[in-house]
Amino acid sequence: MPVTTLTSAPSLARVLARAVLTAYGRTGTTLPDRSLRLESLRIDRAHLLAYQRLCAFAVGDVLPHTYPHVLGFPLQASVMSDRAFPMALPGLVHIANTITVHRRLTADDAVDITVGARDLRPHASGRAVDLVTEVEVAGERVWEGRSTYLSRGPAHPDAVEEAAAPPLPAGDPVAVLRVPNDLGRRYAAVSGDVNPIHLHPLTARAMGFPRAIAHGMWTGARTMAAVSNRSGDASTSRIWFRKPVLLPSSVEITRAAVGDTLVAGMRSRRRPHLEHLVLTLG
Amino acid sequence: MASTPRRAAILGGNRIPFARQNGAYAQASNQDMLTATLDGLAARFGLAGEHVDEVVAGAVLKHSRDFNLTREAVLGSALVPTTAAYDLQQACGTGLEATILVANKIALRQLDAGIAGGVDSSSDAPIALDEGFRQTLLAANRAKTPAARARALARFRPRQLLPSIPQNLEPRTGLSMGDHMAITTARWAITREAQDELAAASHHNLAAAYDRGFLDDLVTPYLGLTRDANLRPGTSLDKLAMLKPVFGRGEGATMTAGNSTPLTDGASAVLLASEDWAAAHGLAPLAFFVDGQDAAVDYVSGDEGLLMAPVYAVPRLLARQGLTLQDFDYYEIHEAFASTVLVTLKAWEDTEFCATRLGLDAPLGSIDRARLNVNGSSLAAGHPFAATGGRIVASLAKMLHERGPGSRGLISICAAGGQGVVAILEGA
Repeated sequence: MPVTTLTSAPSLARVLARAVLTAYGRTGTTLPDRSLRLESLRIDRAHLLAYQRLCAFAVGDVLPHTYPHVLGFPLQASVMSDRAFPMALPGLVHIANTITVHRRLTADDAVDITVGARDLRPHASGRAVDLVTEVEVAGERVWEGRSTYLSRGPAHPDAVEEAAAPPLPAGDPVAVLRVPNDLGRRYAAVSGDVNPIHLHPLTARAMGFPRAIAHGMWTGARTMAAVSNRSGDASTSRIWFRKPVLLPSSVEITRAAVGDTLVAGMRSRRRPHLEHLVLTLG
Repeated sequence: MASTPRRAAILGGNRIPFARQNGAYAQASNQDMLTATLDGLAARFGLAGEHVDEVVAGAVLKHSRDFNLTREAVLGSALVPTTAAYDLQQACGTGLEATILVANKIALRQLDAGIAGGVDSSSDAPIALDEGFRQTLLAANRAKTPAARARALARFRPRQLLPSIPQNLEPRTGLSMGDHMAITTARWAITREAQDELAAASHHNLAAAYDRGFLDDLVTPYLGLTRDANLRPGTSLDKLAMLKPVFGRGEGATMTAGNSTPLTDGASAVLLASEDWAAAHGLAPLAFFVDGQDAAVDYVSGDEGLLMAPVYAVPRLLARQGLTLQDFDYYEIHEAFASTVLVTLKAWEDTEFCATRLGLDAPLGSIDRARLNVNGSSLAAGHPFAATGGRIVASLAKMLHERGPGSRGLISICAAGGQGVVAILEGA
């Protein structure tokens, strides 16, 4: 796949505006045949600290398991706003995420990030696509992430079965968290993901949600921080997103160990049958 | 019962580079720094997933929410969550006092392995409500009727919105530590030149220690700092002589920002264990903890200087151990101010002081200054109050190990409230 190397991170505001303005009429069946790459990206320590605080990871030099996802997000958005990308960015739902940390990354690492779209496929609820983010340091693959997005539509007869999540661990919560009203705005400020469904009840209602919802990657990162101190080391995680977390609300974290793999869940405090996500870490 | 005391070994330590106030760690909390320091220690000694019996640490400037600071740091670290922990606080003596406590518990077979440490942030400091406002809120909370509550709240005055920020003041005298030290410095006629010489030596010694890699296995970089931010390798007597005095008054004022420690942020931790535990984990002791002693002086009445307590503690420790002041290979005298060190040494040389104040037949005498703070001390590294003890213990243990078995080191640390903590280590 050809790679376009950018000289600086794309402006998310411009990318997202382009995605909205060109949303209609995206009916293609193939993915754009190019990846985007940013080289020698330096970690901004103030940004890293803000992310660590917001997601409750240890404040320090080790990059949290999920942090490179945020670094790669402007490239993801840029790929998805490309006119050749067959789905409209508004309305895309982040349904699953897989990350492998090959080795611990620190704020001193200068990273090269490459993002490309892969595996456009029929899904039981429409069409799914993976945005694959690869992070290298001095030519060595150190981190990779695969974010699966769903574009809702009619079920396709050839829908491939997606990897199934383990059941959300039952039992008493190991942590109860209050997710505040302004969480969406705070995570938007750190991640650059200013999707209006996260920002304000009014903008969220315009998009069909009763209230603003938390960013999926925040709920995943916060759950991971609640159940492990070691996720910055070499490890693999999978997150299956279920029902969004409406803001504000209280959520419960549950956990269980299956062999060497940790399974964790986030569910509603008031309605425990309402599952927000299931996460595995091993 | 196996009740014979045994030796407590110091296996090593870890600290983060010390940052100047509002510098690299401006937004790092005590818990963040202590957690990072414990993680660095765990990484260095393979403690992740290993059982360490207890972690004892503390902070001087502490938020009320941090009532369980050390335990919270343990839970956020690579140490197993079944590691017990508690906080201890004795102002600048915190880190050394924690070391004495862990060593004593090991000696008494109550522990096999423990971690002693300390942390302080002068940047992320707790800010309290104005005392009048606090009393108003408490009164309103106690009120049983809405009318009584309204009466209580009516005592609120807008100026009470000004917060109360912690200050480096002695509560009973209203004087800062530097003001107190300036009185003692003048009383002992310590010259500006002598103070500046000690300060320059501290910077040069610490810089040389970094350059030859001495701190490679004592310090773990944090938030972009790899060396202590206060360190000025290029400082000189000429440069130090240009600074204006900041403590003391008039002609006789000698204490400047160059020969006094600045406010800093940082954390340190020391790993101690029984020899059996060390052997079972393939770790070689650097030094053994021999003995420790506290003392306090009456600085409130003006009878003695605020930072003079270690001067009293050391002769008691020497007498108990049957040692003289000259029986040491290294002296680590905490440089709260350059003049603190110089007054301490001068007092031990003073026949009359040693007779009348310390009750000694003969003065303790002089030390070989070439053995004093040989790898720098707080003037160069900075002094995040509770973290200084762990910095000194780990560094001295390594120096004694390099020197060889049976070598001896003396640690002396003064603390707010007219207190002092001193200890002896022996090379392994």
